[in-house]
Amino acid sequence: MRPVCKSMMAGMALAALILVIQPALAHHSGVEFDSNKTIEITGTIKEFQFKNPHTWIQVMVDDGKGQQVEWSLEWGAPNSLGRQGIRPSTFPPGAKVTMRLRPMRNGSPAGAFVGAKFADGKTVGRWE
Amino acid sequence: MEKRAIRITAIVVSFAFLFVPASGLAQQAQPGTMLPYDKLPDWSGVWQMQGGTVFDRSTQTGQGGATGIGVREHPPYNAEWEAIYQKNLALRDKGRFPDVISNCGVPAGFPRVFNLPDPYEFVVRPEQVWILTENGPNVMRIYTDGRKHLDDQWETYTGDSVGHWEGSTLVFTTVALKGSRDGDSILDRTGLVLSDKARATSRLQKIDANTIEVVMTIEDSKALTKPWVVTKQFRKMPAGTRMYDYGCAENNRNPVDESTGKTLVLDPSGKPLN
Repeated sequence: MRPVCKSMMAGMALAALILVIQPALAHHSGVEFDSNKTIEITGTIKEFQFKNPHTWIQVMVDDGKGQQVEWSLEWGAPNSLGRQGIRPSTFPPGAKVTMRLRPMRNGSPAGAFVGAKFADGKTVGRWE
Repeated sequence: MEKRAIRITAIVVSFAFLFVPASGLAQQAQPGTMLPYDKLPDWSGVWQMQGGTVFDRSTQTGQGGATGIGVREHPPYNAEWEAIYQKNLALRDKGRFPDVISNCGVPAGFPRVFNLPDPYEFVVRPEQVWILTENGPNVMRIYTDGRKHLDDQWETYTGDSVGHWEGSTLVFTTVALKGSRDGDSILDRTGLVLSDKARATSRLQKIDANTIEVVMTIEDSKALTKPWVVTKQFRKMPAGTRMYDYGCAENNRNPVDESTGKTLVLDPSGKPLN
């Protein structure tokens, strides 16, 4: 691949990344999430709320003590995500997934979605 | 014959009343100043505002977006309104300056209507130009049929805009803005506000095939010491891009706690997590 093509591809990838991240701040400030911290959780998709003004991914996670805890991951507006190819079926109920998120500052089971990796290796969002 | 003439006159007068608008707005239009479709510019397509939602990036200091500590603009406020802005910034730094549009149902208003994420459409017609924003959604109407501003127009979020064409540039004035008077209209999340004396003259044009630009000259005899000139640009999105409903209240899990100004995060059952 010629250098110019590599640069172009890198630019397009960066633009796509910015588009994926940017919608998270459209409706409210996001100050409740710690933007300097990223954590991972692994669990099962319960529901993908593909609704305005923001989408929410509900994930059931074993807390290690035999209890299932429901996590809420906030993502961008469905309109913006839909224009980028995301669909309600992107996170099917029952799917096993590892999620990266910016957690809530007070430790509650919620955060801003960063990326996801499914059991088959498929990734969504930012996962490098 | 005389009775027939009276009946005809009565019918004509009756129909005439049907076409007199109660507000008298249409009476102020001055037909003949409109440009026909073939003389109007082509602003079709879907457009995306460039840059973050900091209102005036040319006077921005610091890094990041409108919510980060140390990032602010420098509008030419007088001392009283600079103090208001500093107070808002301090609240913002504590996460206690809520964005009013987080409550859903409140228009972005002017000039924030040019400072929104998500796509725009600019619809050009001979008698009006419509600015449609997916976020909100919002509609801004700019009358180009020759009408004037009303002398007794009451203040609203988006105000009243009338304009004319200078070549392919739409020049319009916006008046009757309520600004921050009622505490429910801001320019961005740094806490920028204007008063109910704000008015603006704007120039909206397509500066190249893929860019629409608006230059707003904002005056505010109550809040500003001099006119404030702000430029916003919009980039054309790929052909075929769709716009969608923005039902803000559909699943708003981030309402504002009115007592503290804190933006809440709700769990699926509606219970606050913070």
